Amino acid sequence: MSASKSRPQWVLPVLIGLLVFAALPAVLASFDRGYFYQIANLALIFVLLSASMHLVTGVAGLLHLGHAAFYGVGAYTAALLTTKLGLGFTWTLPLSGLVAALVAFLVALPTMRLVSIYFAVATLAIGQMLYLVMLNWVEFTKGPNGIIVTKGLELFGFSLSGRLATYYTVAAVVVLCVVAIGRLSHSYYGNALRSIREDDQCADAMGVRTVRLKMEAFTLSAFFAGVAGSLWAHMTGYISPGDFKFSESILILAMVVVGGLGSLPGAVIGALLLILLPEGLRGLGDFRNIMVGMVMFLSILFLPKGLLGEVSALRLVRQQLGAAWRRTDNGIGIGWR
Amino acid sequence: MDLFDPYYLQQLAIGLSLGMTYALMAIGFTLIFGVLNVVNFAHGEIYTLGAFAGLVLITAAAPPIAAVVFAALAIGAFAGFSLERLAFKPFRRFTDEASLKSRAMRESTLLSSLAVSIVVREALEIVFGSQMRSVPFEYLINTPVRVGPVILVTGDFIILGVAAAMLIGLQYLLTRTRIGLSIRAVSNNPLGAKYVGIDTDRTIIMTFVVGSMMGAAAGILVGLYYGAIFPAMGFVPGIKAFVAMVMGGLSSIPGAVICALILGISESMATTFVSSGWSDMVAYGFLILTLIFFPNGLFGAGRERV
Amino acid sequence: MTHLLEIENASRRFGGVLAVNDVTAHVDEGELVGLIGPNGAGKTTLFNLISGFTPLSAGTVRFAGTPINGLRTNRVARLGISRTFQNLRVFPNMSVFDNVSVGAVGTLPQGPLDALFGAAKRADAISERTWAALEAVGLTHVADELAANLPYGRRKYLEIARALAMQPRFLILDEPAAGLNDTETRELAAFIKRLHGQGLTIMLVEHDMNLVMSICQRVLVLATGRKIADGPPEVIRQDPAVLEAYLGVDA
Repeated sequence: MSASKSRPQWVLPVLIGLLVFAALPAVLASFDRGYFYQIANLALIFVLLSASMHLVTGVAGLLHLGHAAFYGVGAYTAALLTTKLGLGFTWTLPLSGLVAALVAFLVALPTMRLVSIYFAVATLAIGQMLYLVMLNWVEFTKGPNGIIVTKGLELFGFSLSGRLATYYTVAAVVVLCVVAIGRLSHSYYGNALRSIREDDQCADAMGVRTVRLKMEAFTLSAFFAGVAGSLWAHMTGYISPGDFKFSESILILAMVVVGGLGSLPGAVIGALLLILLPEGLRGLGDFRNIMVGMVMFLSILFLPKGLLGEVSALRLVRQQLGAAWRRTDNGIGIGWR
Repeated sequence: MDLFDPYYLQQLAIGLSLGMTYALMAIGFTLIFGVLNVVNFAHGEIYTLGAFAGLVLITAAAPPIAAVVFAALAIGAFAGFSLERLAFKPFRRFTDEASLKSRAMRESTLLSSLAVSIVVREALEIVFGSQMRSVPFEYLINTPVRVGPVILVTGDFIILGVAAAMLIGLQYLLTRTRIGLSIRAVSNNPLGAKYVGIDTDRTIIMTFVVGSMMGAAAGILVGLYYGAIFPAMGFVPGIKAFVAMVMGGLSSIPGAVICALILGISESMATTFVSSGWSDMVAYGFLILTLIFFPNGLFGAGRERV
Repeated sequence: MTHLLEIENASRRFGGVLAVNDVTAHVDEGELVGLIGPNGAGKTTLFNLISGFTPLSAGTVRFAGTPINGLRTNRVARLGISRTFQNLRVFPNMSVFDNVSVGAVGTLPQGPLDALFGAAKRADAISERTWAALEAVGLTHVADELAANLPYGRRKYLEIARALAMQPRFLILDEPAAGLNDTETRELAAFIKRLHGQGLTIMLVEHDMNLVMSICQRVLVLATGRKIADGPPEVIRQDPAVLEAYLGVDA
């Protein structure tokens, strides 16, 4: 920590802010190719998905194999609200998150007591059941044909569907959500979740309400996945069940694992890596997906703690992201809020 | 509704055949879970590999069906061996019981087997394309056979026969042979088995080999039964076999087999009464209900809370 | 007056084995009580009955007048019973500070909304408790260290600090001296006495008699699931039933 004392705490957030909101858009605008914008938006959405999975899998230690389904619930909520009720993005954004969270809460009620692999399998089954609903309830979800989302991004009637405006909207929502997830996971609340990951019986004996906290983590992560789903629906204008199938859940899991379980910066970097790497390797054609598997396998084998292990990541966050960790002059310490 | 309506009996037979293939896969899961306490996520890909091995042999040499099944078995054995070496062995850094069954080992092998399964599936897609490949007509095992009022197909008998043979073989292997005894010993008490001089490492490999042979056999049988082979075909049966294992109580082979049959039959009934799109829901529903109401499985003796 | 902890006819059966057989005992506010017994006497089971880890087969356990039978472990903990573990169970991948803060956040729960919008008062209370507990065991200088990197002896104190951060009314230490050498054990004894001096009610579950005899005011002795003696150390030392249980029939 001593090395960073000279560097003020706001440097890294400001740098990231400049990169996301000034440098990147400038680069995108100078190329002005729709494809680049698409990649940037996709990467941002997966950053949010990966960060939301980080909360439940990385911090609370619950292996979640059905995350993409909640992303899908969010996207379908947005699409259906738009096509059936004519609501715009302003309303579908929060509602998608809430509906995804509600669904997560309902399925979590009976399953949250399960531990380790049983929990993982239950989430897999839940994810598949939701996927089957999207695929087979044709009258409601239009099944495999998918839904065309007629409204683009807008805020209180003000259209944000230009290329740059879309990018800014997606970036703003994602950054806001990631900051929120950061606050959740780097707080005493986050510590309580971590204690469940480390040793749930012991956490229980320390007064931590393990079942309730697991539910909360699961529901919150579904909320953020739902928000990501709404972004996706309005951004691309077309959704179909294939976007939310099991392999997407695995892709998100791989992002969290590659980045380092328990580390939010790791989850973000993992998402960028697994979205941008295959795009950069477009020349490899069909080998892209193999790369995803290989990267995941190699990182488990050689970097068991991921690119940014929990510890280094925690230090980073403590020093940089405003989570105060210091002792005052009178010797009373202030932890982090 | 007349229960003895030939149509329903026919569906019952289809369900039994389906259940038998799930059972073959579930046994692989159960054996591996028993020995290592881990879930092998790449088991579905073994099934796919078995089917493709058969397909390749059929297109290359057009041998008799028995030879096709044996080729699938051989590939299954080889794939099981490689899978263990690649995705499981590197994470068994220590050999004491605590780390053999530790959470870290379970989770990293879960993820590594998942990664291997992605690589295998994508590689198959590159080599064979992601579309369904159809099996040459003369190899399809769906020649109708009339049994009283019911029309079955040859496949029903072949699957039943092969599955029964393999189950008997497995029973013999587990109870009468040295390797089978060591598999049972290791799954009962890995440390104790080590102390009495059993080569744990070799036993684990053999478990993967035996389990994967059964999975590969199921793959080729289903491939010939339905006539469609494609790289993603292993995923859904893999999940169902897993469900059967959990319902059966994780460590019980008879339990897994019975539950696999229950699953197969209820699925074919669901297809009859609802629609085939929803039939997968049956397995997931069974899984969730089992996890919630029968945490020890329907036939389980008790489950470890690690 | 009522006792802080009352155990009435508590029994626990595991299959055919009565691990704890009809035990009646109590602990008063401010006491330092030892619970001893030979291996397999049922100490740990009794302990788990008190802390809610294992449900009772029969009988009642009351804490500060409240029956705690069938309550969830975390509920019992929040009533004010805090414990350490025989086989150290620190959270290895968390820092020392974060480990201890779990004890504080367990009893002063912080919800997701507090974490999001920064309920500063609650967070300050948690951090104050955490630092106070770290101060009490002398681990402030390693607060940032990963728990897994601490030496064994320090991890024992870390566990105690985590339990103290809960600000318990009743602290149960499960074999705290196990694995410590003589010097460390003496230090630990002095530390426990100091905690007790600050008014904390403590129960010490020990396999080894010496530590218990030297610091406890009262000693409970279990053998084969039954309570065979209950009294001050001087009396216990002479008790023929205790000697028999520890040394065999001929003693």
